[in-house]
Amino acid sequence: MVALVIALALFFDFTNGFHDTANAMATPIATGAIKPKTAVTLAAILNLVGAFLSTEVAKTVSGGIIREGSDGVLITPDIIFAGLMGAILWNMITWLKGLPSSSSHALFGGLIGAAIAGIGFHSVNLETLLQKVILPAVFAPLIAGIVAYICTRLAYALTSRHDPETGSKLTQKRGGFRTGQIFTSSLVALAHGTNDAQKTMGIITLVLISAGTQAPGSGPQLWVIAACALAIAIGTYAGGWRIIRTMGSGLTEVKPAQGFAAETSTASAILASSHLGFALSTTQVASGSVIGSGMGRRGTTVRWNMVGKIALGWLLTLPAAGIVGALTALLVKTGVVGLVIAAVAGTAAVLFMFVYSRKSHVSHHNAVEVEEAGQAVRFARKKALARARAKAKAKTEPKAEATDTADEQKDTQR
Amino acid sequence: MKWLELLTVGGATLVAAVTVVVLYSLGVRLTAIAGDARQASPRSKRAFANICFGLCGLAVLFGLYLIIPYFSA
Repeated sequence: MVALVIALALFFDFTNGFHDTANAMATPIATGAIKPKTAVTLAAILNLVGAFLSTEVAKTVSGGIIREGSDGVLITPDIIFAGLMGAILWNMITWLKGLPSSSSHALFGGLIGAAIAGIGFHSVNLETLLQKVILPAVFAPLIAGIVAYICTRLAYALTSRHDPETGSKLTQKRGGFRTGQIFTSSLVALAHGTNDAQKTMGIITLVLISAGTQAPGSGPQLWVIAACALAIAIGTYAGGWRIIRTMGSGLTEVKPAQGFAAETSTASAILASSHLGFALSTTQVASGSVIGSGMGRRGTTVRWNMVGKIALGWLLTLPAAGIVGALTALLVKTGVVGLVIAAVAGTAAVLFMFVYSRKSHVSHHNAVEVEEAGQAVRFARKKALARARAKAKAKTEPKAEATDTADEQKDTQR
Repeated sequence: MKWLELLTVGGATLVAAVTVVVLYSLGVRLTAIAGDARQASPRSKRAFANICFGLCGLAVLFGLYLIIPYFSA
């Protein structure tokens, strides 16, 4: 049973990885800063590094939501098995739909559902649930969105260039931001590693403690850290192209300076929150940033339709994963046969979704309205060059000025 | 409720992100100015731009230094 739970936990880690590649790499892929394949490789390596950097989060993972410990209830491997099942299935469904949803919420939801069905309603600590899950879910996108909005405004204000004499716009030359994006998105990937790989470590450690093979209160063992780091890195490399498509081009069009601002806010929000002890969900922070930065750039529209879909997905995450978790817990309770049925049904469901996903294949080749978007940006740069040349000409021929200003107005929109 | 922690996180996020973005944007702008055709001292502008990028990198490294327990312990 312990081995089965560990295997399942590692698989959850894998789904977490490919679910969350988008958070770090969707925007640089969309602006053409990094090629898709390079991006996922980079993200995978940084996730691996990040997982080793800090294990602070692992110690507090599910702490307190379910009343474990001496005066509470005992979490058995059965409950964790059921919880993981719920989390994995929900992750697969949202991936199929291309929705960026929080893997940690899926995990919490699954565990809560399993605990209620397996032990009873008293096992869940409602106040901690509110404090650790629901409030952060409201504030994560809000904080990230506001910060990203301010940063985008600042980035554009600081780099907008006017001719001091005529007051007309100069070529903006914001290409530098594309290089910057490589660094900021790397930082997000690193932050993801320090944050999300920890959850699985926490779970496996919890299982080992409850099975009596590890002393209570001790941190994760080295092989657990290594296995989790690897699982999340492989998952990241596999790349959740469907979600990358949503984040990179579904929410709003992303331009380099804007992407830079969004990624900086995402990275600082995640790192600050996991360090200061008010854990925010990576996915929600990243989505908030992308939306905020979209609002910050003049001349863009945020596709609120898509935002609504994503928000609905977030609302459903907890209960949906919870229901699957609860059902699994009930099955497992009936004994070995139930356990086998649950395991087989779970595997079958995952396989089915994988096969179903093949019908409309999304991979690094075609996540890519995205790649086209990258080319569009490069193309636009050439256009800007041509425009600069046209302007130089216009100085000698004042007649051309009228069309030029019209062109410039288009440039401002960018 | 942990309102204080929430405020701290929000504040820290804002300060960190704004620092990085402002420094990097200044760098980008100075690079752009240095690249202009008629420019009095492109070399010093370029140097200032590099200083900005450098400071930005340092700010990021300092943030990481604060966070990774290996250093702070």
